[in-house]
Amino acid sequence: MIIFKTFLKVLNKCKFPLILYTTILVFVCGFNMQTSENSLSFVESRPDILIINQDEEKGITKNLVEYIKENSKIKKIKDNEQARDDALFYRDVNYIIYIPKGYREDFLNGMNPEIKIKSTNDYQASYADMILKRYLKVANTYQSMEKNENRLIEKVNKTLSKKTKVELTTKKDTDSIEKMSFYYKFLNYSILAGSIYVICLILSSFHEEKIKKRITISSISYKKHNQVLLLSNLLLSLVVWMIYVVLSIVLCGKIVFTSYGLICIMNSLIFTLCSLTIAFLISTLVNNKNAINGIINVVALGSSFLCGAFVPLEFLPKSVLKFAHILPSYWYINTNEMIKDMEVMNINTIQGILLNMGILIIFSIIFIILANMVTKKKLKSN
Amino acid sequence: MFIHNLKYFFKIIFRNRMLIFWTFAFPIILGTFFNMAFSNIEKNERLDIIDIAIVDNQLFKDDEVMKNTFKELSNKKNKDQLFNTKYVDLNKAKELLSKNKVVGYLLLEDNNTQVVVLDNGIDETIFKYVVDEIIQTKEMLPDVIEYELLNSTKKDREVNINEMYSNINKMIQEDKSKIKDISKSNLSYTMIEFYTLIAMTCLYGGIIGMSAINMCLANMSNKGKRIEVSPICKTKIILSSLFASFIIQLIGLALLFIYTIFVLKVDYGSNILAIILLSLVGTLAGLSLGITTAVLVKKDENTKIGIMISTTMIGCVLSGMMGITMKYIIDKNIPIVNKLNPVNMITDGFYSLYYYSESNRFLFNVISLVIFSLFLILISSIRLRRNKYDNI
Repeated sequence: MIIFKTFLKVLNKCKFPLILYTTILVFVCGFNMQTSENSLSFVESRPDILIINQDEEKGITKNLVEYIKENSKIKKIKDNEQARDDALFYRDVNYIIYIPKGYREDFLNGMNPEIKIKSTNDYQASYADMILKRYLKVANTYQSMEKNENRLIEKVNKTLSKKTKVELTTKKDTDSIEKMSFYYKFLNYSILAGSIYVICLILSSFHEEKIKKRITISSISYKKHNQVLLLSNLLLSLVVWMIYVVLSIVLCGKIVFTSYGLICIMNSLIFTLCSLTIAFLISTLVNNKNAINGIINVVALGSSFLCGAFVPLEFLPKSVLKFAHILPSYWYINTNEMIKDMEVMNINTIQGILLNMGILIIFSIIFIILANMVTKKKLKSN
Repeated sequence: MFIHNLKYFFKIIFRNRMLIFWTFAFPIILGTFFNMAFSNIEKNERLDIIDIAIVDNQLFKDDEVMKNTFKELSNKKNKDQLFNTKYVDLNKAKELLSKNKVVGYLLLEDNNTQVVVLDNGIDETIFKYVVDEIIQTKEMLPDVIEYELLNSTKKDREVNINEMYSNINKMIQEDKSKIKDISKSNLSYTMIEFYTLIAMTCLYGGIIGMSAINMCLANMSNKGKRIEVSPICKTKIILSSLFASFIIQLIGLALLFIYTIFVLKVDYGSNILAIILLSLVGTLAGLSLGITTAVLVKKDENTKIGIMISTTMIGCVLSGMMGITMKYIIDKNIPIVNKLNPVNMITDGFYSLYYYSESNRFLFNVISLVIFSLFLILISSIRLRRNKYDNI
C-alpha cells in the first residue's frame, strides 16, 4: 500500500501532460468531426466554388451562375483579391470563376468570351472544371443553332437536366465509422505522449539514485516492490484507457456500441498495454527526466506521423510505410483503417485485424524481454 | 570583458545538451517527420485515374457513343485518361465492387442507365458526372441533327451524308469554351507547416536568451550572485551574453534552413535578402520573449522553460502547425489574435514571400516583429535595472 500511495503522490505531481494531451485529443477530434447527415441515397460531392460575376445577373449569365450553384457549394469571401487568393491557398474554395463584364452580350453574339478561373488543381477543382466546361460546351453548341436567348436557355437546361440513376450499395454507417476511426487513430498520439510520458516520469522518480538506495535497504522485498509498481502502472493505464473509451462514446455516439466499436476498443486496450511496455523499456534505459521528455516527444510524434495517426495511411509515401512496419503504432492504426473499409464482418475479414493484434502482443513481449535484459545488465554493472 | 564573457557563454550553452536538443535537433527531427508525412498529400489530391467496371452486355455493345467515350477516357496513351475500365459481366462487377477494387460499375438496361457505387465520394461523383455527360450529349443529338438537316436543305443542295455526319460530330465533340487559368503557381499549402517550424525555432531559441539572463540574476543562480556583487559593468555582461545567444540562435536557424532547403526541398520564395531579414527579426523576437520571461517570471528555471514552450506551442497551433486550416480560420474571423501572435508574424511573412512575393504584407509582418521585440526589450530593461534583494 505504501508503494501505491507514493505512486499516487508522484502521479498527482506530474498529471499535467495527461490532462494536456487528453485536451488536445478532445479539441482536435471535436474540430475535425463536424457532423454530416448520413443518408442511404447517393449524395454528390460538391466542390467549393467562388463566382465573381462582373456581368449583369441576367439571361445566360444568370443561368450559368445558377447551374454552377446547383452543382457546387458557393462560398462567400470578402470582396478583395487578397482574401480570395488566401481562400484558394487554404483550400476554403477550390475554384474561382471570374465572369467578365459584357459576358452575356458577347456570348449571344457568338464571340465566345473568355472566362478566367483560379484553381487549386486538386480533385475538387478538377470536378469544378468539368462542371464549368460541361455548361459552356452545351451552351456553345446550342448558341450556334438558336438565336433567341430564352429558347437557348430552355434547351440548355433541358439537356443538362438529364441525369443518371445512382444506386448506393453500402449498408453501413460510413460517416460515423470514419469519425470513430479518426478518434482512435489520434488516440495513438495521446496515449504515447500523455500516459506513457507520465508513467516514465513516475518510474524515473522511483529510479532516482538516492531513492533507489533507500528502497533497496527497506524491509519491502525487491520483488514485491516491483510487483506493486507494475500493478499500479497497469491500473493507471487501464483507468486512462477507460476514460478514453468513455470520451469516444461522448464524441462518436452510439457507433461505439456496434461490433466495429468493439474492435476499436479491444484494439486500443491492447495498444495501451503495449505502450505500457514501451514506457517500461524507456524508463529502464534512461533515468534523466529531461531526456525522457525529449525521447517521448520524438517517439510519440515520430510514430504518429510515420504510421498515419495524423495523415491517412494511403497518403504516406511507400518508403515511409515500409519503415513504419517496425513500429507498434503502425499495426494499431492499420486495424482502425481496416475497419473503415470493411463491408461485412466475418472470419475472413477479421483475420487481418487479429493478426495486427497478435503482432502488437508480440511487440509487447519483446519490449518486456528487452527491459528485463537491460535491468539485468545494469544490476550486474552496479 | 565582453569577449571573455562571450567565449564562456558559448562554451556553457554548447555543453547544455538539453538546450541544444530543443533548439537545434528537435526542429530538424520534426521537419523530417513533416516531410515524410506530408510529401505525398498534395500529389494524392490531384485527380487520379479512377478504377471502374462496365457491365459488358449487348446494350452496351450496341451503344456506340457510350462505348467510344469510355474507350477514349480509358485509353492509357491519352494524357487525359480518367478511368481504368474493366469490361465484365454483372456478377463479376458486383464482386469487384464489394471487394473495393472499383469505385462503381455502369449497368445499361432498357431505358435505364444506372451507376452502382459502394459509397459517397468524389471518385463516384466524377464517374456519375461523366455518364451524365454522355447521356446529355445523346440528348443533344436530335436537335443538332435537325439543325444540320434544316441547314443543308436551306442551301438548296443535295444532302451530303458524309459532310453532315462530320458536322454533327464536330458540333457535339468540339469544345469551344475558352477558360484561362490565372491562379498563382505557388499553391503548396504544406509549406505553411515548414514556415511554422522556422517560426517555432526562432521562438524556442529564446530559451537560450532566457538562460543568459538567468545566469546574470542573483535570485536564479550562484553565478548570478557572483556577477551581481562583482565590480563590473552589468550592461556589458548582459549584452555580451545576449549577443552570444543571438548568434547561437542564428546558427541553429541556419542549420534548419540548410536542411529544409537542400534535403527537404522547402520553397521559401526567391527573395533571399527578405528571407534573411525576416529570420533576423524573427530571432530577435524569440530572444526578446526569452528575456522578458526571464525577467518578469519570478520562478525557477523549469517553470520559465515551461512557460516559453507553451506560449510558443499555442502560437504555433494558432498559426497552423497542427493543421493549416486553423491559421486561415483565425486570420479570417479574429485577425487581431494572429496580428499579435509572433509565431504567425514569422509564418505569415514567409507565406507572403512564397505566395504573393509582394512587399506590403511582408513589410507589415517585419515591422510588427520589430515593434513586438522593442516593446518587450523596453519592458525587460526597465525591470532589469537597479535590482535589489532583501534576501535570497
